[in-house]
Amino acid sequence: MSKILSGLVVSLLLAGSAVADSITLQLNWKPEPQFGGFYTGQVDGIYQKNGLDVRVEPGGAGTPTVQMVAAGNVHYAVVSADEVVIARSRGIDVVALFAVYQTNPQGIMTRAARGFTDIGDIFKQPGILAMQKGLPYALFLEKKYGFGKLQIVPSPFGDLTAYRTRDNYAMQCFVTSEPLAAQKTGVEPKTFLIADSGYNPYTTVLVTTGDYLKSHQDEAGKIVTSVRDAWTKYLADPKPTNEFMQKLNPTMDTQTFADSAEAQKPLIETEETKTNGIGSMTMKRWADLIDQLADLKVIEKKPEAKDCFVEMKKE
Amino acid sequence: MRRLLFNLLPPLLMASIVCLAAELVVRRGWIADYLLPPPSQIWKALTEAGTDLWRGSAFDNKIGGLAATARNAFEGFLASAIGGVAIALLLASNRWVKQAFYPYAVFFQTVPIIAIAPMLVIWCGFGSPTVRAAACIASIFPVIANTYAGLIATDPALRDLFRLYKAGWFSTTFKLRLPSALPNLFTGLRIAAGLAVIGAIVGEFVGGGGLGAVIETAKPQLRNDKIFAAVVLASLLGLVMVSLVNVLSWFALRRWHASERK
Repeated sequence: MSKILSGLVVSLLLAGSAVADSITLQLNWKPEPQFGGFYTGQVDGIYQKNGLDVRVEPGGAGTPTVQMVAAGNVHYAVVSADEVVIARSRGIDVVALFAVYQTNPQGIMTRAARGFTDIGDIFKQPGILAMQKGLPYALFLEKKYGFGKLQIVPSPFGDLTAYRTRDNYAMQCFVTSEPLAAQKTGVEPKTFLIADSGYNPYTTVLVTTGDYLKSHQDEAGKIVTSVRDAWTKYLADPKPTNEFMQKLNPTMDTQTFADSAEAQKPLIETEETKTNGIGSMTMKRWADLIDQLADLKVIEKKPEAKDCFVEMKKE
Repeated sequence: MRRLLFNLLPPLLMASIVCLAAELVVRRGWIADYLLPPPSQIWKALTEAGTDLWRGSAFDNKIGGLAATARNAFEGFLASAIGGVAIALLLASNRWVKQAFYPYAVFFQTVPIIAIAPMLVIWCGFGSPTVRAAACIASIFPVIANTYAGLIATDPALRDLFRLYKAGWFSTTFKLRLPSALPNLFTGLRIAAGLAVIGAIVGEFVGGGGLGAVIETAKPQLRNDKIFAAVVLASLLGLVMVSLVNVLSWFALRRWHASERK
């Protein structure tokens, strides 16, 4: 009864559904290099080779990936580490399997002409900051630097009109995306990583539910292995996958695909991944994130760090 | 008294049943609360101490979400009421004018505000001006279309009578055509009142402030209860605005038009 009811509600609410037998991997944005490896698994037949029939589903602004995976609409989904912690503290049983970005690619972009050298400079003089205010990192920045001198406005989600027309404007961005577009407008951007301020959750994290993981241990292991191989391959040669993704997302041009794939490399491959493998996570970073989110009062109940992720060791 | 009871009882009964049912399916665990926040959680979100649904936030001059949305939706609605009637008068004044402009009036009905929002922000400025403009754009078309329909449907016999007495444009318009178009005008305003609230909230997604900002803030924190609370407030706001139009309509039409007579 409960399954039928929630299934009904979910399909009504989300109008998305998983086809029987194939495994659905739900992304939270359009096909872009930040998901390159997930598509390489499809393009190079890596999923298939491991006996998996995986469908990679693009998302959009506000695709509720946490809710979708928790409700069983999709089997695997891409979220960020803070979403995992928030979900767990609300009793939603999602578990991280693989973290693409070791360094959070979110940043703040403003005009280079303003001469800022540190992320803290943005908050020291009057200006406009476009940012989705409820985001945990926005709360972190507010607590650390204070928004007193700034006018906070909603994020334009990639639109650069305001950036081009106002010289005291700063905006939230993915360092692998907006700055590349900004460069083309002729207004030289300067980008600061949020991670430099001390808030650095894993981003583009592959998750599933604890329940699903329990009954599909073997499949999940194969997914992680495939995804790791696919990401390694994508980092070495992103071109074939980029061509495939561009067919799905024709608004992004070939050069931007290539530039973005190049720009994200150092955020994915770090000293840590050289020993532990791409996508690996540590207990300490999850615990730190939980402490930060509790400190910001984003969560009331602290989930256990060890429940947030499952380490699938490199073979 | 009896009439009041008849007016209030069915909707209240309906609301109670829906709330009880929603509460039950969640409490029983049939539907998870992150998919459907139960009414008790929504109530808690509404009455939370210091919530930005009521209290000011950094986004908008320290006034609460509901107050900000209400003000901007109302001002946007006012603009579309005045502007819409003026445009309808213009369209009805001459067949050529109508042919030239009417297709473009449709633009207001179809324009996806989200798509032009970044420009709206640049043209109007962050905060209230953008929100008011969005509310006006979203709600002006029904006013134009309905008022225009009323204006061109004036009883031909009465028009002939006015012509016979050599009445000028001014008296024909304000003593005959506009009054006889009032029932249509109010229909347009009723539709516009609800649309202005939607337009305002969409405007707030990009311009900032109000219930739109509260929703945007609640989203990344998985606060669905708060999002629903904001939706409840937005619906109530729409209800109040439509009721205001109904009261106005009753005052204007009760003496002569069948729709407002018992």
